Amino acid sequence: MTWAGTLLHIHVAPSASVEMEELAEARLIPGRGIEGDRYLLGTGTYSRKPDIREVTLIEMEVLEALAQGEPRIPGLKAVLDPADHRRNLTTRGVPLGHLVGRRFRVGDVVLRGGRMNFPCQYLEELLGVPGLYEGLLNRSGLNCAIEAGGVIRRGDPILPLAD
Amino acid sequence: MSPRLIMKLDVAEVRRVPGDVILATLTHPRRPLLPAATAGAHVDVHLGDGRVRHYSLWGDPADRGAYRIAVKREAEGRGGSRRLHEMLVPGASLMVSAPRNHFELPETNGPVRLLAGGIGITPLLAMAQALAASGRSFRLHVFARRRATAPLLEEAQRLLGPGRVGAHLDDEPDTRVALPALLAAPEPGAVLACCGPAGFMAAVRDAAAHWPEEALLFEAFQPLAGESFVPEPFEIVLASGRRLAVPADRSALDVLREAGVAPPASCEIGVCGSCLCGYRGGTPIHRDVVLSPRARRERFAPCVSRAVGTLHLDLGDAGRAVEPEAPRP
Repeated sequence: MTWAGTLLHIHVAPSASVEMEELAEARLIPGRGIEGDRYLLGTGTYSRKPDIREVTLIEMEVLEALAQGEPRIPGLKAVLDPADHRRNLTTRGVPLGHLVGRRFRVGDVVLRGGRMNFPCQYLEELLGVPGLYEGLLNRSGLNCAIEAGGVIRRGDPILPLAD
Repeated sequence: MSPRLIMKLDVAEVRRVPGDVILATLTHPRRPLLPAATAGAHVDVHLGDGRVRHYSLWGDPADRGAYRIAVKREAEGRGGSRRLHEMLVPGASLMVSAPRNHFELPETNGPVRLLAGGIGITPLLAMAQALAASGRSFRLHVFARRRATAPLLEEAQRLLGPGRVGAHLDDEPDTRVALPALLAAPEPGAVLACCGPAGFMAAVRDAAAHWPEEALLFEAFQPLAGESFVPEPFEIVLASGRRLAVPADRSALDVLREAGVAPPASCEIGVCGSCLCGYRGGTPIHRDVVLSPRARRERFAPCVSRAVGTLHLDLGDAGRAVEPEAPRP
């Protein structure tokens, strides 16, 4: 698969419900998560439900589609800021939906797609955006495991790796 | 109870006013607009040591640029206000939740009487500003010991104009008024909202005993005093059929927490409503101050309320936040 994307934003939050904070760079710990993030610290909403959730990603293209209100079914038109969607990394040009079970590189770090993220009612209620749950169906991002850790930076290239 | 965003806000302005009160203005470091609040709402302030306290917002709800809280230092309290007085310095950061409102005025057209005892003026001052903006008829009655130490009285008079604020001060006999006389004749459709110390609210409740129940709105900062209440053990049955014993010396919330099924909780004294859950059967002993008589038929506050015998709890709503990202039913 040939594609080349970019890391636009890095966000972490120290615990559930706490507003996300943008970082210029972050350290990823293999098998655990992002330094300073709730899913490394065990303080996330879903921390008690173990799953692959060391790092979560979402496509900037999805946020742009939401802002345009496209597609019109389910019809949500809303500005979802990168600081608000509660995924850690906002990407551009990365086909997240094709990366389940695949390895890819963010800067020097290697991630493996675990499963497609599924939208949650919790986020809709937290942000008070009615319809956000439906609006994110099937494009809610990707939950990943960290295979090789290191520091990632805003603007890092995101590239596929051969399996 | 829906989750609320917790934000790291800047302490933009701090003013010490008489009565050992700090007026603090909280703003967001990056967002010009904060999550909207309705008049009567409060925010949770995280004290950084695991404790959380709620403070009513007294600013104009139409001003979304800042949250304004008034913190009275309670020397005899549980220590939260003393800690917060140390934390409220200009330039500091404070973890603060988005607002929630358990003290909302009904949207009727009748005139509104706002009765404030001491620091209980905070949510009523927000209401008064919203009422003034909507053109609804109202009057704010402030009850305090002395003018010099009446929290927010000066602000109220400045923001609302002196004609809409009545100050009733113990040390100014001319200003004093008997509650039964003040509340003798409710106008048709009138609403009374009251906030203040427990004794003050009890006196208002007595004086308004002839008002229709739905015209009365009380906000309590303190849990109901359970002078003679002796906790007894009881049993919880969950929707799954699982049975949990609640000993006399522990709360239902504690027991739910140990079982890994606790709803989110905040104040743990029955005033914030964070841990509210449903029940399907049994005889609860409600000891919270959040639920209306109607809501008490189906809702339960496990942090302070108890039950006789067996209570069938429904944690449906509360449990959802810890479920995996599952589709809605």
